[in-house]
Order: sequence, then structure tokens, then C-alpha cells
Amino acid sequence: MTPWRRVGAWVSGLRVRLVLAFAMLGVTTTVAVAGGSYFQARNVILQQAQDAAVMSLTDQLTKLYPIAQLPPTQDDLQLLAQRLSDRESFAVVVYRDMRAQGASEFTDPLTPELRQKVRDGRIAWQRVSLAGQPALLIGTQLALDRPDGTSRPSGVEVYSVRNLVPEQQSIDQLATRAWLTGGLSLVLAVLLALLSARGVLRPVRDLGRAARRLGEGDLSTRLTVRGADELADVARTFNHTAGTLERQVGELRRLESDARRFVADVSHELRTPLAAMTAVTDVLDEEAEHLPGDAGRAARLVSQETQNLTQLVNDLIEISRFDSGTARLALDDVDVAAAVTATLRIRGWLDRVRTELPPGVVARLDPRRLDVIVANLVGNAFRHGAEPVSVRLSADPDWVTIEVADRGPGLAPEVLPHVFDRLYKADTARTRSEGSGLGLAISWENARLHRHGERRGSLVAGNGTHGGAVFTLRLPRETADTGGAR
Amino acid sequence: MTGRRTGRALFASGLLLTLLAAGCGVRPSAVITGRPPISGPAQGTWVYLLAQGELVLVLRPVNADPSPAAALSLLAAGPQENERAQGFTSEVPAGLDPVTVTAGADRSGDLTVRTNIAAQALSAHAADQIICTTVAAAAQVSAANTATTVTIVGSDGARGPRACPIR
Repeated sequence: MTPWRRVGAWVSGLRVRLVLAFAMLGVTTTVAVAGGSYFQARNVILQQAQDAAVMSLTDQLTKLYPIAQLPPTQDDLQLLAQRLSDRESFAVVVYRDMRAQGASEFTDPLTPELRQKVRDGRIAWQRVSLAGQPALLIGTQLALDRPDGTSRPSGVEVYSVRNLVPEQQSIDQLATRAWLTGGLSLVLAVLLALLSARGVLRPVRDLGRAARRLGEGDLSTRLTVRGADELADVARTFNHTAGTLERQVGELRRLESDARRFVADVSHELRTPLAAMTAVTDVLDEEAEHLPGDAGRAARLVSQETQNLTQLVNDLIEISRFDSGTARLALDDVDVAAAVTATLRIRGWLDRVRTELPPGVVARLDPRRLDVIVANLVGNAFRHGAEPVSVRLSADPDWVTIEVADRGPGLAPEVLPHVFDRLYKADTARTRSEGSGLGLAISWENARLHRHGERRGSLVAGNGTHGGAVFTLRLPRETADTGGAR
Repeated sequence: MTGRRTGRALFASGLLLTLLAAGCGVRPSAVITGRPPISGPAQGTWVYLLAQGELVLVLRPVNADPSPAAALSLLAAGPQENERAQGFTSEVPAGLDPVTVTAGADRSGDLTVRTNIAAQALSAHAADQIICTTVAAAAQVSAANTATTVTIVGSDGARGPRACPIR
């Protein structure tokens, strides 16, 4: 699993999804509630401030009537502007080209669109930003009543510029509270999500761990069933499945070990009568030459078959040792080239085999088992393959590799997977072979018996590039005797 | 799939936050209009002068005679010192006075201004000054309103009737 995939798995994991969903829910609700009330409160605050300012200006202006002088002088305008200015606001009074203004640093705060609306004969107001601060502009004309109830504009326009900073501050306070509420609810949502994720995830994690243990072979794994929800159901089903599996596997193991013990017992029981028979056939062999015709052939046949039977029984006993885990390595530091040469010489094959045995390869292994493997592989090559048979030794710091190759027809694809099966006959027509049918199985077990840490000996069958079967034996150079561990 | 869903969720929450942040504080607004402007009584005689080619209302202190004829006399006298200083002019000739204003015979209340100068020779501004000042003064004493028309009758005949262009 690459780091990215792990991050992806974590992001799409149940915990993150739950937390995200809860956070989204919390944020959405908070935004809707806090945001909505914030906007409403803000509008109410602004509305009230505006209405109050307009009212106050109207009240002040009403007191100016009746107007006795028109056109006003600049001094009149200035006086009016100062009268209308206070701490929170200042006034701008305009009459045609004349203009007077209360004390302020802003030279021209009025917007053209506001002036247009005022000139059109309406009280108008507008929120603007003056030097970064919010301000409210209110404007009106001073009109003159006529006796018939209509009014005429006098040409005097009065504007009040009111600072909205206090309102801004209250609104900012509202916003701060809204943000705080949102943040708190987010934290709360995440906490809740984590809690509920824990509640859901713990059983799931337990289940995963138990399934892994079961997969690794611990069939006694059981889950503690908590509660009565769906996850508890899953746990119950898991326990039931594990129980059934354990029972069945136990049954199978018992049957298998029974069968193995039976084979081992039978082999041992056969040994004693076979020893007697071998003794008899030895005598028969000596006498066979003197026996006439059929009797002689029969005597030789009995002798031959007794030998085969002895071999088979010995192989069965060997195999049953592997199966019962009692096979032990007798380790020694071995010069591999010398050991292989000895194996070939003892069996008289040294002249028929092409060897490629670099000297000086020393490995710690069981020389008897190496002898069994090499003899079996070379013997098979002669029996089933075709000459020339070659044995090649190579080595690196970790491994010793021995390749036994022949130039025969090689191994058929359908045979390859079964080469190391017990009593497997490649040629079904040939019901009687010279061997016991256990040789390669024993060699394979012997190879596997050599192990060092993670490295484990192996025997692999294949076909060479130029045809012919190639058996490759790989043994770790250092072997620790771990007993019959399989 | 999950990545896309997560992306969408992030996008949506980002949009929400942006909206929330954008709506914060006091934002500038468009112009909001309310009721008609503040209005109140005026003290004095309404006289229409000219400033930069427009009719402009000025108030003169109340005199004893509130009649339209008296107001027209004030108009014929031209702008006062302070008014002239502010750029106010008048195109009404001083020879307008003496003048008489009579209400029409019919019930409409339409007015007739009689003067000795040539009515046709008056400029359009001068005629409007006379009409508006007459109507404004007549409104103080009779039932003249914005629809009231004025006919100026001079030595060379009548001009009008016409209503005051300022409503």
C-alpha cells in the first residue's frame, strides 16, 4: 500500500466521514441560525439608527420655520450648519452655489445620486464609507408651504452626515458572537462525531482484528458480543462461523494425523517381516542360478520386488517422520562440491555426469539429506530423462544452488505442478516404475527442512531453455536447526 | 467518488463562509428615499427673480399690502443689493409699475395683469417672473393655485394666458 493510498483510505475512512458529516451538519445549522439572526439583528440595528437619525434631523429642521429670509447669506448657512452639527454628526447646507459645513475633516462627503434625489424633492438617505468608516448621509430640502396646501422648494438643501461607528461596533460584536457560536458548535460536532465514530469503529476494528487472527490460523478466535445492534449480529455470526470452522478443521486434522499415524505404524510393522523376507531372498538370490527355468526367474523376481518393497517402506517411514515433525537435521560444515562428487562416485555415476562444481563452497547443512536429494535428482534424470545429465553448483553469500539438468523430453506442463506430489506417476500407463514414487517428495521435504531465518531451502522443477527437465535446489548457506518445524 | 464528494462538501462550506464574511459589518447602500421634504410656513412676500437663467424664489419682508400688485411693484424694483451680490437678476423692466391685477369673471380664478408697457416685448423669463410672482401673491389673499393662469395685458395687447412653470 503506497502512502497516498493509505492517506486516501484514511480520508475515506468511516471516522473521517463521520466527523465531516457531523461538522457539516453543525456548520450548516450554525450558519443558518447564527447567520440568519445576525443579518436580522444587523438590519434592525441599522434601520433603527437610520430612522432615529432621520427623525432627529426632521425635528431639528422643523424648528427653523417660519423662514423669513431667502436667499440666505453665507453666514446664515454657516450658522445653520453649526446649529445642526453635534458630537455624532455634522451638517452640510447647500443653497445654489453656496455651501456651508459643520466642523469636519471631510471636504465633500455627499454623493451625486443622493443630491439628485434630494433635488427631486424627497428626503433621502444613504450609507457610505467615509475614510473607511461607515457613515449615514441624510438629505432634505427645506420647502415652503403655500396656502393651498402644496409646497415649493426653497432651494436650501440640508444634509446630515452621521457616524455609524457605534452601530458598526454593535454589529461587529454580534458577528464575533456568531463566529464564536459557530466555532463552539463545530468543536462540539467534531467531539460528538469522534465519540460516535469510536462507538461504531471499535466493534469494527475488533472484528477486523479477529478476522485477521482467524486468517492467520488461530481458529480459537472469538469476539465478545456487546449489545444487540447490527454489529453485535455480525460478531455473533463471526463467532458461529469461527466455531464451525474450528470444529471442521479439527476433524480434518484428526483424520489426517490418524491416517499418517496409520501409515507410520503399518510401515514399522512391515519392517520386521521384510527383514526376514530380505534374509530369505538373499539366500534365494544365491540359489537362483542353480534353479532351473521358471523357478529361477520367480526367485529373482521375488528378490527384486522384496528390495523394492523394502525401499518403499523405508521411504514411507522417512515421509512419516517429516509429517510428524520429528525429522531433525544433522548439521555440519560441508564442502558442497566434495559432497556432491562423493554422492556421484558412490553410485558409480561420476563418469556419466557432466559436473560443474567450483571448489571451496562451504555451507552448513545436513550432508546425508544433501546426498539423498542429489542422488534422487540425478537418478531421476537417468531414469526419466536422457543423457547427458549435468550437475552445476553455484553459490552466493546467502545461498547454495545446485542445478540438475538432463536433455530428455522435459516435463509436460500438466505434470509440473504435481512433480513433488507423493506417489504421483507422470506416465499413468506405466503403473510400475522403478522408484517408490516418494523420492521427489522426500527430496522436497529435505530441501524445505533447511532454513535460516526467513530463508528456507527450496526445490523447484522446470524445463531448460534447450529442453530437458531442470531441477534447482536452493539451500541457505547458514542453516539453523529448527527441528521439525514445517 | 469519495474525493469528489469531499471536494463538493469543502466547496459548499467555503462558499457559505465566504458569503458570511462578505455580509459582515455595515455595507454602503444605495440611496433610500423617504417621504417628501420638510415643509413649513414662510414669512414674507414671494418674489421670483432669475439666477443663471432659472426662476428663483426669494422672500421679501412682509409689507403692509399683501396684494399681487404690491408684489409686482417689488418685482419691478429689481433685485436688492444682497440678492444682486449673489448673482440674482431680473428681466422685468422697471416701467412695469403701475400695475393692476384683477381676477377673471369666471369661477376659475384666472388673473389678468394690466400694465402700461408693451406685453409682447417682455422676454419669456420676464413674463414667467410676472406670472409666478402674481400667482404666489394671489394665493395669499385668494384661492389661486398652481393651475391658475395669468394673462398679461400691455399697451400692445394681451399675452397669455399662461400658468407659472414652477409647480
